Amino acid sequence: MGQYLPVVAMLVLAVVFAILSFAASKLLAPRRPSAAKSSPYECGIVPSQEPPERFPVRFYLVAMIFIVFDIEIIFMYPYAVIYRDLGAFGLVEVLTFAIAVFASFVYLIANGALDWGPAKRLGRRDPQMSATRTTTSTVRRVGLEGRPAGDEEVAA
Amino acid sequence: MSPVLAAETAGSFPLLTAVVVLPAIGALVTALVSKRRPELAKQCAVLFAVATGALTIAVLAGFDTHAAGFQMIDHVRWVQDPQISWTMGVDGISLWMVVLTGILFPIAMLGAPPHHDEKPFYAWLLLLEAGCLGAFLALDLFVFFLMFEIVLVPMYFLISGWGYEGRRYAAMKFFLYTMFGSAFMLVGTVALAYLHAKGGPVTFDLRTIAEHQGVLSPQTGRWLFLSFAIAFGVKVPLVPLHTWLPDAHTQAPTGGSVILAGVMLKLGTYGFLRFGLYVFPEASVYFAPAMITLGVAGIIYGAICATMQQDLKRLVAYSSVAHLGFIILGTFSLTTQGIDGGVLQMINHGVSTGALFLLVGMIYERRHTREIAKLKGLQRSAPVMAGVFTLVMLSSIGLPGLNGFVGEYLTLLGAFLTHRWWAVVAVTGVILASLYLLWAYQRVFHGTPDEANADMPDLRWTERLVMAPLIVIIVFMGVYPKPVLDRIEPSVKKLVQHIETNTHYREPKAPKVRPAPAAGGQTASQGKAGK
Amino acid sequence: MTSLLFAQLGTPHRIQTPSVAWSGLLPVLVLLGGAVVLMVVGALLPRRSRHSWHLWLTLLIAAGSIGCAVPLWFRVRDHGPLSILRDAVRVDGLALFLGIVIVVGVMLAALLTDGYLRREELEGPEPYVLLMLSATGGLLMASANDLIVMFLGLEILSLAVYVLAGLHVRRLRSGEAAMKYFVLGGFSSAFFLYGIALAYGATGSTNLTDIQRFLATNTLTNNGLLLASFALLLVGFGFKVAAAPFHSWAPDVYEGSPSPVVSFMASAVKAAAFAGLIRVFVYAFALDRHDWQPIVYVVAVLTLLVGSVLAVVQTNVKRMLAYSSINHAGFVLVGVQAASDRGVRSALFYLATYTFMVAGSFGVVTIVGRRGDNRHQLDDYKGLARTEPLLAFAFLVFLLAQAGVPFTSGLWAKFYVIGAAVEARSFWLALVAMLSTVISAFLYLRIVLAMYGGADEADEAAPAVPRLRIPFAARIALVVSVVATIGFGLVPGPLTHASKTAVPKIAAGK
Repeated sequence: MGQYLPVVAMLVLAVVFAILSFAASKLLAPRRPSAAKSSPYECGIVPSQEPPERFPVRFYLVAMIFIVFDIEIIFMYPYAVIYRDLGAFGLVEVLTFAIAVFASFVYLIANGALDWGPAKRLGRRDPQMSATRTTTSTVRRVGLEGRPAGDEEVAA
Repeated sequence: MSPVLAAETAGSFPLLTAVVVLPAIGALVTALVSKRRPELAKQCAVLFAVATGALTIAVLAGFDTHAAGFQMIDHVRWVQDPQISWTMGVDGISLWMVVLTGILFPIAMLGAPPHHDEKPFYAWLLLLEAGCLGAFLALDLFVFFLMFEIVLVPMYFLISGWGYEGRRYAAMKFFLYTMFGSAFMLVGTVALAYLHAKGGPVTFDLRTIAEHQGVLSPQTGRWLFLSFAIAFGVKVPLVPLHTWLPDAHTQAPTGGSVILAGVMLKLGTYGFLRFGLYVFPEASVYFAPAMITLGVAGIIYGAICATMQQDLKRLVAYSSVAHLGFIILGTFSLTTQGIDGGVLQMINHGVSTGALFLLVGMIYERRHTREIAKLKGLQRSAPVMAGVFTLVMLSSIGLPGLNGFVGEYLTLLGAFLTHRWWAVVAVTGVILASLYLLWAYQRVFHGTPDEANADMPDLRWTERLVMAPLIVIIVFMGVYPKPVLDRIEPSVKKLVQHIETNTHYREPKAPKVRPAPAAGGQTASQGKAGK
Repeated sequence: MTSLLFAQLGTPHRIQTPSVAWSGLLPVLVLLGGAVVLMVVGALLPRRSRHSWHLWLTLLIAAGSIGCAVPLWFRVRDHGPLSILRDAVRVDGLALFLGIVIVVGVMLAALLTDGYLRREELEGPEPYVLLMLSATGGLLMASANDLIVMFLGLEILSLAVYVLAGLHVRRLRSGEAAMKYFVLGGFSSAFFLYGIALAYGATGSTNLTDIQRFLATNTLTNNGLLLASFALLLVGFGFKVAAAPFHSWAPDVYEGSPSPVVSFMASAVKAAAFAGLIRVFVYAFALDRHDWQPIVYVVAVLTLLVGSVLAVVQTNVKRMLAYSSINHAGFVLVGVQAASDRGVRSALFYLATYTFMVAGSFGVVTIVGRRGDNRHQLDDYKGLARTEPLLAFAFLVFLLAQAGVPFTSGLWAKFYVIGAAVEARSFWLALVAMLSTVISAFLYLRIVLAMYGGADEADEAAPAVPRLRIPFAARIALVVSVVATIGFGLVPGPLTHASKTAVPKIAAGK
């Protein structure tokens, strides 16, 4: 078990460091709490409900597409360095990989992941997209369908 | 297939397989009858049932009276490893069960038609018949298990679909109880085959396993016997495991009750003979006192319960518990007379209790009640029915001259030879039987009928025709049981010899009741060769 | 640094590239390639079409995969197993048998999916793509001969199923199921990975052949690490097959997930996980069977009892079937516990037959669930025998088969498992298994009673509900399942023979 000693030591160190820093900040930081400070917004208005944090989910999509290409590039770099040594085998491998990434990219674009602005494409036939829908109606709609009766209060 | 096995089936019509398969085909055909022609379903089903009955009579006709071993064997390999074969064979014990089944099914169909959904009712009944016949004829442990288990499904549907008020509860109870027993039996069957194989090729062939005794240690044999005994004990039912029976019998439709009592309970007692005594002779001898005690307990308990019943059908149901106790008593007396009597009693109980259930069903049809207190003086309004009831009842009590007497007498005689005091206690069961049946008869048929009972119609001609064969059997077997006993006895003698060769048990010398047919020499040598 | 780089570039030397026997991987590759093609083509064409070409393409791809597996099967049978990718993947009978089972699971689930998607207005190629990708993971798992590859397979399998569980975007329970499955599944994967790490620590390899060889030639003075890895690996597998005490996700997830997906979870996912379990424990750890058998014994008993007893109190048919699938997992574990040829054979037979039973059962559930996939109470099945006699009959067959009634494949499956247990002298385990069947039978009978119990007078006045719509594809799935269930019940020989051929050699005792 001797070879695991560094790991154990590292683990212990990590725990000790975390506890120490936590304790230090608790002990050393000055604290003068007040009602205004502990409210969510320090602007004087007491919020009556949780703020709706709605922003387009496309931000995430774009971020995820970025990650996909990021990963592709990460693999491309080392390949570029030794592509001669790998020969045809490497070419096939990296092409397979690129095709897989490309296929997913095609899928994303075809499904409107990069369509920005008013949802003109999606609005065509999708019952989920319509101009009449508002925040509340959306929540209700999600809440009603696919739930047993008498369960609506939770979602509304 | 080995040449020996091939020789067994070569050239002859597989009669026994046909007996099993025909009703199954009938079930399928009945189920496929057009929805718009429900009357066709009944005709079709009865036709198949009668044809099957005719085939069973053909089996009876072709049966070699003096041979003790299995006859007319059909053998087809089904699964290679472990070896499971479709092996069907008949001997003196199963012969009568098969004939009984073949006769009772058409009678149950004609005597107790359902009130709705005729087509599925008859289809299930035919499937049930196939299962029962298969179980009686199977000479392969696994095939027997399959048949033993498959009968649950049609019976479950018969009770839950066409029964009375509490049918769902009763059906569920019936299914789960029996399946509980079967769970033990499956493990027991598999364990028996695998342990018997000792690492060699695993076979489920009954004869191979039973004839090669001494492979298993006595301890193992006893455990395995117990696992089978639980399954059969539920089916018989033995006393602590009997509670499903009154519910199932009472709630089942009349046809279902007739089959349940007449045929299905026999699967348990037949199982004890075939898979208890034959496969585990050592364990059977070891457990015989316990089994006899349970049997006697059943006789007394069933009789006392029957006396106290308010419901006529429930009364008959409890009388079954008592009668089946006699069969167990005879079987585990391990004497030729006792087992003879047990087998005979199986037939008797099938006929007379089946007839009783039919009669109770007919009363219910007319009066829409089975409560004894509400029935009165039916003798006036329905004299023929009263006459038939009297005869059947007396047969059930065991009056000399009717079939019940022969069976009970032989059973008690056999039991007296080995377990004297148990036999003495069991005799009181006969007295109790006359008490509860006569008392019930008195309350239902005697006296002046009140308004509701006064104009109850008597038996119709069709109903009389249905009852007629049963009455003929009752009287015939009471007066002249020799043809029946002649066919049973060689097989029973062989079974007892099988037990003697494989254990220290020796059958006590009995006073000669009747000259036995000479078939002993051959069977004895077979038994020794087996060992 | 740069000089070093240049130095390396300056002296080009051939890197040893692995030679891969691609033919051995064909079933996986066909499925994978097909999934990608379907994804791309499906994205470019309109989502809705009248011709359900998504389904037919999926079936074609799956059939192609099986078509590639069959010649391999004969090759493996005659010439021994193929070892591919430096022994990281091993194509043997076990891999191909369960691989075909998994692909059949995909086909049946796909057949059910088509009608479901139309009914719920969720059309699109994604469910099919995910089914196939998940099956790819399953195939990889079944043929993995390296713990890392097995983990890869497990993750590919699981990730796709997590998404499938949340397929019904407008149904809250579906999302809930996906979330639960994902969180708990991720948790169990972590356990599994840690188990791999410990196994590596104990034996010095992640390759199953090497592990087996190491354990055969060395005696560990301190096997604590190995035992810990057994436990952790078992947690990982136990979660995927829904064995108690790692079963608690199953009822919730089964209830919430779209019904066709559940059929996939209960058939293919289970088959894949059991493939892994058998490979790792029965084969790689064959010589340490006395250490892991007791654990599996206890897990099997718990699984059998939990799966049967807790099912009794349910009123939701989907939950009932979820518990019953736990019970069935217990049965397969009984086969695994025997750690013998016969045990593995019985497990394979069980998984193959159960695939049809469970796909059929959830097929009926899918149809009866109606629009919204919500009608899963016992009451919703009342009088089904009158309104839809054939559908009720199909369900009856599946339920009776699960209860182990004669002349259905279910009885043979149980019979072989019991035989294996008895041969391994686990009599009590066999008895517990059969008694648990009796308890489960109660639950199956409750459903049967609801369907066939006959209409009470009170029920006659019930408002008329519109007739159930049974899509054509679902009909095919049901017919195939019924035929397979009864067919293997009457003629079990071919499947028995195949499962016998599939079993690789187990290392003999120490």
